[in-house]
Amino acid sequence: MYSEKAYHIADNCRFCWMCRHVCPVGLKTGKEINTPRAKGLLVSMEKRGFEMEKDSAEAFYECMLCGSCSNDCATGFEPPVFIREARTRAAAAGLLPEAVERVLDRVLDTGVMYEECEEPKALSEKINDHQKKAKLLLLLGATARIRRPEMALALMRLLEKAEVDFMVLEKEPGTGSELYDLIGAVEETREQAAACGRQLCDTGAEKIVVLDSYLAETLKHEYPLWDCAPESEILTATSFVAGLIDEGRLHPEALSLSVTVHDSPRLARDLKETEPVRDILKASVCEIKEMFLNRELTRCCGSSLFAEYAPKLALLTGQGRLEDAKRTGAGILVVECPQALDVLKMAAEKTKTGEAGADCAVAETESGNRERPEILDIFSLLLKAVEENGNA
Amino acid sequence: MKYEAFMPEMILTELEDIVGQENVSIEEGERLIYGVDYFWIGRMWSDRGKTPPMPDFVVRPGSTKEVSQILKIANYYKIPVHTWGGGSGSQGGALSMAGGIALDMKRMNRLIAIDEESRTITAETGMVFKILEDYANERGYSTQHIPSCLTCGTIGGALAHRGIGIMSTKYGKIDDMCVNMEVVLPNGDIIETLPVPKHAAGPDLNQIFIGSEGTLGVITRATFKLFEQPEARKFRAFLFPDMTSGLSAGRDIMQKMKPSIMRLFDEAETVSIVRDVLGVEHKGAFMNLAVEGLEKIVDIEMEAIIDICAKHNGQDLGSEYGEKWYENRITFFYPGHIMDIPQMFGTMDTVADFAHVEKIYWAMKEAIESNFPNVRFIAHCSHWYEWGTMIYDRFICDNPPQDPREAIRLHNNIWNTGVRAAMENGGVINDHHGIGLKLSRLMKEQYGPAMQVFEALKKGLDPNGIMNPYKLGL
Repeated sequence: MYSEKAYHIADNCRFCWMCRHVCPVGLKTGKEINTPRAKGLLVSMEKRGFEMEKDSAEAFYECMLCGSCSNDCATGFEPPVFIREARTRAAAAGLLPEAVERVLDRVLDTGVMYEECEEPKALSEKINDHQKKAKLLLLLGATARIRRPEMALALMRLLEKAEVDFMVLEKEPGTGSELYDLIGAVEETREQAAACGRQLCDTGAEKIVVLDSYLAETLKHEYPLWDCAPESEILTATSFVAGLIDEGRLHPEALSLSVTVHDSPRLARDLKETEPVRDILKASVCEIKEMFLNRELTRCCGSSLFAEYAPKLALLTGQGRLEDAKRTGAGILVVECPQALDVLKMAAEKTKTGEAGADCAVAETESGNRERPEILDIFSLLLKAVEENGNA
Repeated sequence: MKYEAFMPEMILTELEDIVGQENVSIEEGERLIYGVDYFWIGRMWSDRGKTPPMPDFVVRPGSTKEVSQILKIANYYKIPVHTWGGGSGSQGGALSMAGGIALDMKRMNRLIAIDEESRTITAETGMVFKILEDYANERGYSTQHIPSCLTCGTIGGALAHRGIGIMSTKYGKIDDMCVNMEVVLPNGDIIETLPVPKHAAGPDLNQIFIGSEGTLGVITRATFKLFEQPEARKFRAFLFPDMTSGLSAGRDIMQKMKPSIMRLFDEAETVSIVRDVLGVEHKGAFMNLAVEGLEKIVDIEMEAIIDICAKHNGQDLGSEYGEKWYENRITFFYPGHIMDIPQMFGTMDTVADFAHVEKIYWAMKEAIESNFPNVRFIAHCSHWYEWGTMIYDRFICDNPPQDPREAIRLHNNIWNTGVRAAMENGGVINDHHGIGLKLSRLMKEQYGPAMQVFEALKKGLDPNGIMNPYKLGL
């Protein structure tokens, strides 16, 4: 059974069409079932005796839980609530899509969504340098450690330059973030979160700086609800680093670059953090050419989790955001979350090789005269500005 | 449609061959959602746990060529084709009442061109209109087609039902905004209308397909006018003693200038929805309007409007209410702000010249209130022309029958009564929501012998009658 809250939202959403223009998956797939109202209708019809079928279960996974529909709703309804519960039901009924099941098994077994679990040597060595007790714990997350080590390394070098005493766990635990998105707030999710919460407590850190926006949102919002929040202060990496500049501990050189910013939905919408990344860019004297959908209106490009079980869809959503960036005419697309960085770089690479190019929202005749921007994470860009200045 | 044995699988193979396996579905979960659009009966039917009208195949074309190939197959097998855009139509126009194919157009959502020299924008018709508007806004323009379904209806939907937006009084309806189109005819032929609409090369082909509700073909690409964003947009609200004085003021304003927005609410709507959303605590007929363009001209026009309204005893309420209405213009349509199941409701919008419009208003109000004592009637005039205006008449029944068939009977009786009252007094069957399934039965009453023109078009273009059966009286 769904919760009363989920039914209430679904019963309101089933006859409301107003948010379909913001759903990145719906817009890129063109499928009616990929709209909050269609998913709401399916839930409401279940209440009225229609059984969930394999295809509708699959539809509940063609959603990135990015919250653009909730953000748009003038009444305050949140479709992700019933979508998460539908996933719980799909798992319980044995209707999970095969690709989801594979990723789920990995997260349950290893705490990591990827097949590979080891970080590259350069990062591993850097992490080794920080196997010590410190008041500040840096939580990198699996995507930065395994897929986007350049972002993790840049952040760690910045912290070193600012003379921040910090520690990094040799092996980070699964946080429950992925499980929450895959099967909802079920026992397995809470158990993983609780174990993670205990391990974070055991570090004795006063502050935990979290690089991955998905993990940051889970730690800040869900852990208190699941009674497993560590007592430490939780900060996002962008806000912490912006603070270091503010305190005069980092001195970036003027880069004079033209950039655009992709706001991570979890930072912009869930954590209401949109300015730290811009503060960092302003400190580096970059001209920001905003995308039409910026800050809390941001269009999700896809998460690494989504890309793991729905790579073709993630390619489409990633390409959609790249088109948004391209139309600004900026030379660099700045990204603040490793999962977004991973998806956007994958989409850029595959677009270059011609994969799925026909599905780009803007015909090449319209936007083809502009170069695609280079994709760079905010910390690599700041590190460049700091190193060009030659001081910390 | 009934198919024997494995015939559906044979047809499926052909459809998949055109659009790819991932763009065809015969699964129940996916077909079910095409059974509910904004039409009250469809919503009520599913709310009562009844099986919605379902297509046999959901097909998502990615190009005009694919649409053409699909229609050729549909014609061969005589499979009904129901074109689906955003599904936000209120008249049941997109419902697959005859089974067959639901042709979901939303994969065809590419922006083709923005021509800043000609001030036009071209896109595929599966694009949600708000996305088109966003592309225009990025360059400092607007299409100025801003309907309440802006965020959910597609370009094709707006054209198919001859839609209208809140700025229509200045910028026109969708049929005024469209410059040219590409259409796939039921036999699969791809045609283009002339590059521009103002010519003397016979009737305007655009106007044959705009408003045809998917009965004559599938519109696949369209070009629209672009407007520069106005330098100034200024609001003003007035309170008139009654609808009569408000209508007279509106008529006089339209003779001298064109506000972008002008909405006159009757006494019943003024003390209900307008009070609830805008906090207007007055009795009478509330009007809010906006004038826009070059600031100097706007100021002069506003001064003249204030004078005209004063002559008709309109009390000047200042700019605040109008600004608040504009900010909330979409909020009205979110759940909790608009009528919803279990209420029964509908908008019987009609349009007429100034000589008839007030008579129509009173006739419809009387017809509804006297025949259906438990039904409320509210109205406003929101789209104005030099010669007349439309009336957005709504009925609301808070406790409709539980039995679905009884509910449909009451619903259709209310509609017959209200629309006939409009038509008998010089109004038309509908102003801007279209006909769809809801009003299909009344088309012959409206047109009389003129209906043969539409019937001849239908017979000539769609001899197998596959395109959107039971809609538009065709």
